[in-house]
Amino acid sequence: MEERELVELSQKGDEEAFGALVKKYKMKVFNLAFSFIRNQETADDLAQEVFIKAFFGLGQFRFKSEFGTWLYRITVNHVKDYLRKKGRMIKMSFENFRMTQPVEEDEVARIENEQAVEQRRKLVHQCLQTLPEKYKVILTLRDIQGFSYEEITNILKISPGTVDSRLHRARKMLREKMAPFLIEKGGFHEM
Amino acid sequence: MKCKKAERLLLRSFDGRLKNGEREELGKHLKSCLSCRKKSKDYQLLFEALKEKDFSEPRPYFWERLQAKLKESKKPEPWLLWKQWGMRAIPLSLLLIVLLTTALVFSFLHRNEELSQSGILLFRNSNPIQETKALLEAEKIEDRNMMIIFTSLEGKNDSRRYSP
Repeated sequence: MEERELVELSQKGDEEAFGALVKKYKMKVFNLAFSFIRNQETADDLAQEVFIKAFFGLGQFRFKSEFGTWLYRITVNHVKDYLRKKGRMIKMSFENFRMTQPVEEDEVARIENEQAVEQRRKLVHQCLQTLPEKYKVILTLRDIQGFSYEEITNILKISPGTVDSRLHRARKMLREKMAPFLIEKGGFHEM
Repeated sequence: MKCKKAERLLLRSFDGRLKNGEREELGKHLKSCLSCRKKSKDYQLLFEALKEKDFSEPRPYFWERLQAKLKESKKPEPWLLWKQWGMRAIPLSLLLIVLLTTALVFSFLHRNEELSQSGILLFRNSNPIQETKALLEAEKIEDRNMMIIFTSLEGKNDSRRYSP
């Protein structure tokens, strides 16, 4: 069955059709929520709430955009609401990421072990949480979830020019936040 | 090329959004600028770290759990109802108010005004005190009083009754 047909049936209250849409989009919605929250249980709860919101809001969906785009917009707004209500500005604890002396060139390769990569990922994600909301959102959509510029334009309802400039600013800010952990030659300190 | 422009092009290059000329221009700059080469390496590592290595999955029975919640919340929240119907209710209410006002104005303009006894007499071009004049002109007090009593009994208006 075509997606449009499934949406139309769901608008009439057909749960089975809505179930097919949930099956198709649950992973993407869950992962999008997870990218912001970094907690599996909360992301699962948020994904469920997003689908409930979508089900009851389907009457307002007029096929002006793709169903997926509409759903991702609900997800982003719902997660933003959640974070605001929770007042959860995840504070960075740099204590877990004590800097060591810059390593020699021949030792750089050693950084690429699994543990260091994982720590680096955690550090970058923690730095990301400290960015202002609009930059955090755009970086999550583009650099974590890999949405295209066009998709981001539709999800956030902003112009392509704004996507370009906001993304540029967000990436620069993230690099600045990471500055204490970056070595002079480029790349990270050993962790 | 200035480093500021190089950084913009560098970030666009990660999205594969560079034109041929720009790519060559950036390549030349990177060869000659140590600071931009460092930035390039930093960004590369940042993007690698940002990318989700392995996507996690929602908890099992996602749809079944959702289905149960949907059944629970079949009766939508009041704010959802307002969101759904509120916008439609506004023009409808306005139309109703306009219709009611129009009906009230028309009924006010065309209502039949009830005239007082004096008003009726004046309307008929009669003298409103003609009746009273005859009574007052009666010679005997008893006759006058009796006439007043009978006249007041005939009249519908209580205010005209004689009260000694």
